[in-house]
Amino acid sequence: MSDLYQLKRTPFHERTSALCLPQNWRRWAGHIAVGSYDLTLEREYWAIRNHAALIDVSPLMKYRIEGPDAMRLLDKLTPRNIAKLAIGQVYYTGWCDDEGKLLDDGTITRLAEQAYRLTSAEPSLRWLHMNAVGMDVRITEHTDQVAALSLQGPKSRQVLNRVCDSPVDGIRFFRMAENTIAGRAVTISRTGYTGDLGYEIWLDAADALPVWDALIAGGNDYGITPCGILAMDIARVEAGLFMLDVDYTAATHAWIEAQKSSPYEMGLGWAMALDKPGFFVGRSALEREAAEGPRWKMVGVEVDWESLEQAFGAVGLPPQIPSMTVRASLPAFRHGKQVGYASSSTWSPVLKKYIALVHLERPHYEAGTRIELEVTVQHQRCRASATVVNLPFYDPEWKRA
Amino acid sequence: MAEADTLVIGAGHNGLVAAVYLARAGHKVTVLEAADAAGGQLAACLPGWHLPAPALHPGGWLRPEIVRDLKLHQHGLPAGASLDARYTLLLPGGEHLSLSSRPGDAATLEAIRHLSSRDADRWPEFLAFMDAATRLLAAAQLTPMPRPERHEVMAQALPLASLLLKLRKLGRRDMFRVIRSLSMSARELMDEWFESEPLRAALGALAIHGVTLGPYSAGTGYTLIHHWLNRGGLAHAGPSGEAITGALVAALKAAGGELRVAAPVERILVERQQVKGVALCDGTVIDARRVLSSADPRHTLLGLVGAHELPTEFVWHTQSIRMRGSVAKVHLATDGSHGLPGGTLVVGPSLKYLEQAYDAAKYGEVSASPYLEVTTSGQVVSIHFQFAPYQLRSGDWETMRPVIEARAIESLAPYAPQLQASIQSVHSITPSDLAKHWSLTEGDLNHGQLILDQLMFMRPMPGWSDSRTPVQGLYLCGSGGHGGGGISGVPGRNAARVALKD
Ligand SMILES: Cc1cc2nc3c(=O)[nH]c(=O)nc-3n(C[C@H](O)[C@H](O)[C@H](O)COP(=O)(O)OP(=O)(O)OC[C@H]3O[C@@H](n4cnc5c(N)ncnc54)[C@H](O)[C@@H]3O)c2cc1C
Repeated sequence: MSDLYQLKRTPFHERTSALCLPQNWRRWAGHIAVGSYDLTLEREYWAIRNHAALIDVSPLMKYRIEGPDAMRLLDKLTPRNIAKLAIGQVYYTGWCDDEGKLLDDGTITRLAEQAYRLTSAEPSLRWLHMNAVGMDVRITEHTDQVAALSLQGPKSRQVLNRVCDSPVDGIRFFRMAENTIAGRAVTISRTGYTGDLGYEIWLDAADALPVWDALIAGGNDYGITPCGILAMDIARVEAGLFMLDVDYTAATHAWIEAQKSSPYEMGLGWAMALDKPGFFVGRSALEREAAEGPRWKMVGVEVDWESLEQAFGAVGLPPQIPSMTVRASLPAFRHGKQVGYASSSTWSPVLKKYIALVHLERPHYEAGTRIELEVTVQHQRCRASATVVNLPFYDPEWKRA
Repeated sequence: MAEADTLVIGAGHNGLVAAVYLARAGHKVTVLEAADAAGGQLAACLPGWHLPAPALHPGGWLRPEIVRDLKLHQHGLPAGASLDARYTLLLPGGEHLSLSSRPGDAATLEAIRHLSSRDADRWPEFLAFMDAATRLLAAAQLTPMPRPERHEVMAQALPLASLLLKLRKLGRRDMFRVIRSLSMSARELMDEWFESEPLRAALGALAIHGVTLGPYSAGTGYTLIHHWLNRGGLAHAGPSGEAITGALVAALKAAGGELRVAAPVERILVERQQVKGVALCDGTVIDARRVLSSADPRHTLLGLVGAHELPTEFVWHTQSIRMRGSVAKVHLATDGSHGLPGGTLVVGPSLKYLEQAYDAAKYGEVSASPYLEVTTSGQVVSIHFQFAPYQLRSGDWETMRPVIEARAIESLAPYAPQLQASIQSVHSITPSDLAKHWSLTEGDLNHGQLILDQLMFMRPMPGWSDSRTPVQGLYLCGSGGHGGGGISGVPGRNAARVALKD
């Protein structure tokens, strides 16, 4: 079969495949990506929380947007005020269709006066071009040309300081800077998908292996650990970060209105620069929603341990804990009536709690609200009591420091 | 900085109709026209022409509802319809087929009988059918169309229900005949009615007038009915362009409105999807809370507003409007001895001839044997030339200008032996001139092809046939809107009614 029909391999494949002993591969945006390097996730998860985890995030869609109107394009595309994005700064944002429903989310990095990098989960070239009508701007997809590594964990800064030509201490949260690793040019942004101290390293795909090797060698003293995306999937729930196709459906993929989500529902209200001048896609719908308040909201929910013990104890079992994030919809109830659903739920090793990202309908989404979440105990549906909490669940002080 | 309550861009007949409606309703209206005179395509404007300039478009009828609403007869619009005007197909050997649309016209019946007695027997029924079809179309054009993606079922259903009732009243047979004819090609429609080629060609020519379609193209059944409605039959007969424009301008002034010519708009100013006014090319900014544009939708939305102020899908739809100009005009100044009869004359002896003329346009070429519609006013012979595609496969319109001039004369001359000798000078308007001097995107007279997927609730774009735009306070009131191209005033009237309601 021709390569055309194969899932793509990332530029780090030679290294990651040699280490992926359980052959636990996942599909990610047309690539194969390591799910985990061990049969269980503990070692990789704890590397994120205690040491430094090295995650191959190359399958992220990446676009370079440059030219005199690059800023105008991104300002039309997204609800954030791109005029305020400084060179070397990174914005996280979602973006919408004209009905104000989310299409995708990702980061925008201002690389130079007139050059930006946008990452997305879905292919976005056509949407970018459709928004660029009448603008003097060049849009290039460079997903395959740019390799990306995420180095996450409290020791990640020390690893980079050892490996890079210049120290990274000056890079503030959501900023980026040029650097050199193993003689290869890289850009390093202080970003990630774990809610911990962490960096993402962007480099030419051709330089992938030497940069990987340098990080592994230099990070050894700090416990650097290659980490798959399943351990990251636990960390991102603890950090209250949602995932496309798991916690929301892109408006273009939704079959019915009810499947679509607004940025307010997903807790992105802080990113909606409704006071910025000019038009952006979804503006009037978002203004309307801002005024009325969202009907739905994704919140954090902590399940009562005693309640789980009781439910499982009734059939003579200790509470059964899933070994990875559960990406199934679980109904949520209040006073016996369904008021929403969990889209991601997981055992949080660091918090020692069973947690979930839960979408609740107004007025049930206020912090402190007591609800019940469905759990399956020995093939029987049961309900465990739980409490609505503010996101994120886990927010170490070293994340921003 | 000046201020107005309502601005109308473009003083074509549709812009003026909209302006008069709004002014009569008590609004302070200013019409801004790029050209030196009002009239749009009805204006007599021939850059560099020394004789009294004939209008681009010979004239026409505004809908009786509009004439009545705006009391245009009081402002000088001549009254009276003339179904007697002759529409004449020129035939080789000095023959011709001369038709009028008046039912029972003896000369017409005689001329058709001369070709086929069967066709002559069917002619009265055909006229009755066209009458039913045009009445239905006229009603449809004045009926607000539904927005398919909206769920305001009741509000949309009422006007539609009354339209369907009108359709039902045609009776079972005519109802289906009319509906079928809309999507048929002119040739298929003619196959069902007539056998003599000249008669089929005479009607087929009207069906492709002003559009980039041939008589074998689907949907030319619709265009035949559309033109028949606008002309009130086959021939141009209504008041002149000058008379229509004059009456509308007088009505505008009487209602307290203002007309500014030589005032091209450079930009429509928008803030947060709300219209704020316009900026003229000379830098003047005029504030307004409402702007109606009769410039074509593409020019208005992508040129004057700018894509960056508009929703993504909407921009895509605007880009997707098919603008296909392929009409040129050639004017001949003669010594008066051209020998052509009056009325509306047609060169296009068979459906095949017309289709072959269109074939060229498909490939970006000028028809070797064009379809011509000719009118005369005194010494001046005005030739409507099809097909002269705006998008040429090779060359440009300056080098092609002599070619259309020569082909127009060559194609007409065989039917008028004295013509060649009588010509004193030639002046032509190419599709590129139409784009430049009349601000018509791609030289499209209709501000968007009159084709089924660009009509009714899909005109100018699916879901936007109510004249509104995503910019609050900005309305489209020209031929690109529901009601379509031609002289009718319908898009202007429809837009004004919506603007007044908001
Ligand atoms: C030769 C010819 C034959 C035709 N034959 C037929 C026919 O037989 N049947 C039929 O149905 N239709 C026919 N048409 C088409 C018909 O004439 C037009 O559809 C109609 O006149 C359009 O009227 P309107 O008011 O909508 O737009 P227009 O007459 O095009 O007026 C638009 C006005 O807006 C102005 N404008 C544009 N941009 C700006 C700006 N930025 N600032 C200020 N002003 C601006 C223009 O200068 C123009 O005056 C014909 C047209 C021509 C030229």
